[in-house]
Amino acid sequence: MSANILEVRDLQTQFNTLDGVVRAVDGVSFDLARGETLGIVGESGCGKSVTALSILRLIPPETGRIAAGSIKFEGEELTTLGEEEMKRLRGHRISMIFQEPMTSLNPVLTVGTQIAENVVRHMGVPWRAARERACEMLDLVRIADARRRLDEYPHQLSGGMRQRVMIAMALSCDPQVLIADEPTTALDVTIQAQILQLMLELKEKTGTAIVLITHDLGVVAETTERVVVMYAGRKVEEAPVEALFTEPLHPYTRGLMRAIPRLDIEADAAGTRPRLQEIPGLVPRLTQPIPGCAFAPRCGFATGRCAVESPPLLDVGAGHTVACWEVDRVRASAL
Amino acid sequence: MSSQSASERPVLEVEGLVKHFPIHGGLLQRRVGAVKAVDGVSFTIARGETLGLVGESGCGKSTIGKTVLKLVEPTAGRIVLAGEDISSLKPGAMWAHRRRIQTIFQDPYSSMNPRLPSGTIVGEPLENFGLSSGRDTADRVARLFERVGLRPDAMRKYAHEFSGGQRQRLGIAKALSVNPDVIVADEPVSALDVSVQAQVLNLLIDLQEEFRLAYLFISHDLAVMRHISHRIAVMYLGRIVELTDKRSLFMRPLHPYTEALLSAATAPDPKRRRQRKHIVQGDVPSPANPPPGCHFHTRCPYAIADCKVIAPPLIEVAEGHHVACLRRPVGGDPGPLSVSS
Ligand SMILES: Nc1ncnc2c1ncn2[C@@H]1O[C@H](COP(=O)(O)OP(=O)(O)OP(=O)(O)O)[C@@H](O)[C@H]1O
Ligand SMILES: Nc1ncnc2c1ncn2[C@@H]1O[C@H](COP(=O)(O)OP(=O)(O)OP(=O)(O)O)[C@@H](O)[C@H]1O
Ligand code: SF4
Ligand code: SF4
Ligand SMILES: [Mg+2]
Ligand SMILES: [Mg+2]
Repeated sequence: MSANILEVRDLQTQFNTLDGVVRAVDGVSFDLARGETLGIVGESGCGKSVTALSILRLIPPETGRIAAGSIKFEGEELTTLGEEEMKRLRGHRISMIFQEPMTSLNPVLTVGTQIAENVVRHMGVPWRAARERACEMLDLVRIADARRRLDEYPHQLSGGMRQRVMIAMALSCDPQVLIADEPTTALDVTIQAQILQLMLELKEKTGTAIVLITHDLGVVAETTERVVVMYAGRKVEEAPVEALFTEPLHPYTRGLMRAIPRLDIEADAAGTRPRLQEIPGLVPRLTQPIPGCAFAPRCGFATGRCAVESPPLLDVGAGHTVACWEVDRVRASAL
Repeated sequence: MSSQSASERPVLEVEGLVKHFPIHGGLLQRRVGAVKAVDGVSFTIARGETLGLVGESGCGKSTIGKTVLKLVEPTAGRIVLAGEDISSLKPGAMWAHRRRIQTIFQDPYSSMNPRLPSGTIVGEPLENFGLSSGRDTADRVARLFERVGLRPDAMRKYAHEFSGGQRQRLGIAKALSVNPDVIVADEPVSALDVSVQAQVLNLLIDLQEEFRLAYLFISHDLAVMRHISHRIAVMYLGRIVELTDKRSLFMRPLHPYTEALLSAATAPDPKRRRQRKHIVQGDVPSPANPPPGCHFHTRCPYAIADCKVIAPPLIEVAEGHHVACLRRPVGGDPGPLSVSS
């Protein structure tokens, strides 16, 4: 048995649009170890959600398709798996928390019924047992008065509670992999803190591996063990979380780190307002093939080669990889 | 720092502001209660100063913004803009003052006519207020485009042809066009990615220093708040619970809710993850039915019996540091509170 529960290789997912073919995910590879928490970060539109939807095979077939690559779950190839088998995996062995709970909870069914249905479908237990399971799960995600809440509808719950119901539902069939797409972005800070803490506690208990997708570097620092940084549909850096924050090596990752206003440094506490570092320019359009490094037009380290030749992922040791021709110069420069 | 001279009167003074929204229910849609969205709020902002307004969803931040803009009528309280009481001005009389206070929205796109070129949109207030017309407007708009970092030839483009950050710049140019004294910025960078957010925050700071603008800056992001504000007001369920300069707020938070907010905020530093202190439990109560006494008592680890019945007023407990907590008396020990049993 491989140590990795999920292996994604050279994934390419594309959409046909009026403007042409959008290369939303353009050759992404990563592994997820059993019980691990992996973060995927990057700016809006860089392909995080499409990566997640590709793993679950939820790309709308009318416009999109997995054009190339392989996704292996427990050694089994998912890209060619039949829809019936895929349905058996989804919500059971691989489950997902979507960004907006209201769109993925059914408004006309009670939360108890929704969780129980999932349990009946995947675990083949009788309805009574599934209801019991639903109640246990609501308890587990610390919804007070779980038994009464089983009979409530999504609109009767607060946003934070709905998100906890989503987590309860996603975990109700003991998945081996949980993909959480911006699970806390829509929530208030104090509720976000509760949910993140809860997810980590549940993971300790159940051993579920988590892919946490977010654009919030604070959430990543707080909860993940390893991080994949994406830019324009590609993976540009991957590292253990401490290494990513202490020694980011891709110019884009460095740019991101410098652009965030920080709460945890004392420099501006005196009341001054230091300038934030901007990343000049815009993300490239994904409808044009990008021959070289996708970051080249915005990169202070770029050379002539960067615009024409795509940099391969370079292993710099200790699980840290980076796709940049000029990594030695970047490393030598101040953070 | 804010360029406030000691003698100068604040450009915006808000006193005892109240806004209640009626709740209708039952068959006859009778009035059955009220959401106390804003429940007695006071603050001032000086020229060149940013007052940050932070707090969780539904605590009344946007309602304060809309009320001082006179987009909604206050239920009670006084709003004084550049020395002039505008609280009870009817729309006609308000017109003369409207130029002085402008707004930047979270999503400027929704407020822009998709069929008009961006130059026309930015120039609209200039023409509406009769400040310029024709060629003169076009010249002014071109200068505004340059000032906010857009190319003047982009004036011909439509709103949908701009990126999120560029649209936010359009919104800023439009707000600036009429030389306002005060800008209400309601979550102006919340929808933007960090790299774009940095551009917009830098621009807002530059413009503030250049034109001595006063900002009422609304956000739920503490790091953004700390970056742009001079003073910060923390709100909980319609009331300000703490108001002070940003340094004391972050170094010496006195209100238990502020403490909870600060410890819930994530830091982009994996080494700090285990340092997170107490995470406050429970949900934010509904503003339609807030707990009696101190609104925070249902979640406050330091609550005592009195907290359930007495609503603590916002008082100045140390110089410039205002707190509304029964356990934070004037001149009291600013150290940590002990958890009551
Ligand atoms: N159904 C679709 N049809 C066409 N293009 C799509 C579709 N879904 C996604 N895309 C495009 O694919 C790219 C990647 O989108 P994706 O949703 O993965 O971004 P993301 O990284 O999740 O961003 P965000 O942080 O905004 O959620 C974007 O350019 C997007 O416009
Ligand atoms: N026009 C209205 N009619 C009725 N209730 C309203 C109205 N506008 C706001 N409210 C209520 O007043 C309260 C405060 O709302 P407000 O929009 O000011 O909150 P906020 O602090 O800006 O929240 P957010 O961070 O979610 O934007 C909420 O409970 C809201 O539902
Ligand atoms: S490969 Fe070149 S353009 Fe790309 S990040 Fe490295 S230096 Fe910059
Ligand atoms: S007044 Fe009481 S409940 Fe309110 S914040 Fe202070 S200690 Fe907590
Ligand atoms: Mg997404
Ligand atoms: Mg609001």
